[in-house]
Amino acid sequence: MSAADLLNLLIAALLLAGTYAAMSVGMTVIYGVMKIVNLAHAGFMMLGAYFVYELFSRFRLDPLVGVLLAFPTFFLIGVAVHWLLVRWIPASDQPTLSSLLLMFGLWLVLQNIGYLVWGNSDRSILTPRTLLTLHIGPINVPAVRLVVFLAAAGSLAALEFALHKTWFGRSVRALMQNRYAGRLVGINVERTARLTFGLGIAFAGAAGGLLAMLYSFSPDFGRAFLIRAFVIIVLGGLESFSGVAIGATILALVETFSILVLPAGYQPAIAFALLVVALVVLPGGVASLLTKRLRLA
Amino acid sequence: MSSAAESSGFARVRFRGAAPPVLLLSILIVLPLFGLGPNWTRLLFVTFVWITTSLAWNVLGGFAGQVSFGFAVFYGLGAYTAALSINAGINPYLAFLLAGITASTASLLVGLPTFRLRGPYFAIATIGVSEAVRVVMTNLAVTGGASGYRIVEHGAFRQIDHYYTALGLAGVALLVSLYIRGSKFGLGLIAIREDEEAAADAGVNPFTYKLSAHAVAAALTGIAGGVFARYAAYIHPHGVFAFHTSVAILLMPIIGGIGTIWGPVLGGAVYGLVQEELIANFPQIHLLLYGVFLILIILFEPGGIVGLLRKLFRWIEKARRDPGDHPTGASRDQVLWRAGRAQRREL
Repeated sequence: MSAADLLNLLIAALLLAGTYAAMSVGMTVIYGVMKIVNLAHAGFMMLGAYFVYELFSRFRLDPLVGVLLAFPTFFLIGVAVHWLLVRWIPASDQPTLSSLLLMFGLWLVLQNIGYLVWGNSDRSILTPRTLLTLHIGPINVPAVRLVVFLAAAGSLAALEFALHKTWFGRSVRALMQNRYAGRLVGINVERTARLTFGLGIAFAGAAGGLLAMLYSFSPDFGRAFLIRAFVIIVLGGLESFSGVAIGATILALVETFSILVLPAGYQPAIAFALLVVALVVLPGGVASLLTKRLRLA
Repeated sequence: MSSAAESSGFARVRFRGAAPPVLLLSILIVLPLFGLGPNWTRLLFVTFVWITTSLAWNVLGGFAGQVSFGFAVFYGLGAYTAALSINAGINPYLAFLLAGITASTASLLVGLPTFRLRGPYFAIATIGVSEAVRVVMTNLAVTGGASGYRIVEHGAFRQIDHYYTALGLAGVALLVSLYIRGSKFGLGLIAIREDEEAAADAGVNPFTYKLSAHAVAAALTGIAGGVFARYAAYIHPHGVFAFHTSVAILLMPIIGGIGTIWGPVLGGAVYGLVQEELIANFPQIHLLLYGVFLILIILFEPGGIVGLLRKLFRWIEKARRDPGDHPTGASRDQVLWRAGRAQRREL
């Protein structure tokens, strides 16, 4: 294995990390504000993939445009789901049995609607971009991965801007820190929760669309990524956005470089192994480690 | 959830309440003597296995309030352990015991890192572990990988033996549940479910309690897997380790009534008897139906079938009695408890 190969792997890992971060960030906002572990995230990612696929195969719409359209569409779906189901379960500062089971039931429903509508055969989105590779000296970058990475990074930057520069973003961050104090200073908790849920689902759908450009998918598509998203947000410390970026990078690096030592068949087990390691070694996530360091300094 | 408030009348009804289950058990014991067809025997066998797993899940999920999405891991590990042991010439009943021990040991792998922490870590880890174990088992050469594993048992196949084994196992699971519920251990688990910090303040160690409940539940599930594997004589990772096995084990106690004793039994019975018809008639949408069920139960009747029945009885009782004296028909405890719940909801 030459240095150029290792460099290629490293670039592949970093490009993957961007997509992973986009897929996990939706779960983080929902958990942060509502303390709900959104198991239905996988279902919405699957729907996002098929959304982009349908637009592409029926209207010849570029998948990137599809992803862009997925944001508002899934935002509205998320708001509707919150209005219909989520707001009825009692609020808590810990994830409750009923919220876990409700989201799980929703996931089952979405997944099986997927099977009903699209059957269980694998689909994929093939554009001229899919097989194109950019050569820069010894480095090869698959064009589609670069495009997906840029789209993911762009959406994350937009989110970062919204969270820090808008009133809604400020209330989201306040509620993540302390729900009761947030209410005391006049935040409309119900409305913020509804919009946050929509935002989380919007990111789920868009990330599903992005991943559909890279991998083939079936109605069971989201499950493998759901576990990855869990690992990432646990690594990141559940409620931290910078933690998500770090967690996504760690997972992508470990997964990519594990090919060197482990047969590819075992790859789905890596995410879980990393989860256990993370829980044992640093249960508060990378973010808590960083804040501890900063406090010490 | 409601089950904590109802223990006042529990001792009084205990004796009266013991009659129907004993009757039911006797009927199930003598039923095969009257020539139960092989098809019904098989259906009841499967139902007993499901009831066992349902009761087992309830010990952890219902009493201690820890949702696990990965009980197929224990079911599958039990099945494979029993299969390997039986093929190695070990007595089947000893093999079942080994299956339970393996599953119990495996439960520590998930419990040790996650139960120490508060928060959603356990539920998350169970989804991960079921994926990871299935992937490993699909690739493991010793057990035939994805193509499955066959159990070769010498001697004639006697369906009735399997029937009684499964019935006995379901009985044991029921007794274990009853015992745990009445014991200090069970009360500790319920305390953890209601408020983990308060339980810890009262001297209950949440970590060891949750870990023990998980181990007991895993052992029962593992034995159930072993019993099923011996009957089926052929197991494969996409059957016993499948995600829908985990889903089934989780759904039964919730449909029946989470945290109760008879809920999981009822849920398991309904699931075991209805499942095949449902798959035969709605092959495409049976999981969709379960998902819808789950959502409806959580939103409208978290007590499941048992909760519904309880409401029905209370309603009949109220209609029969003159409602002049107690306009609400609720005891002081119930009124206080409802007030507490309303308050919690407001926060």
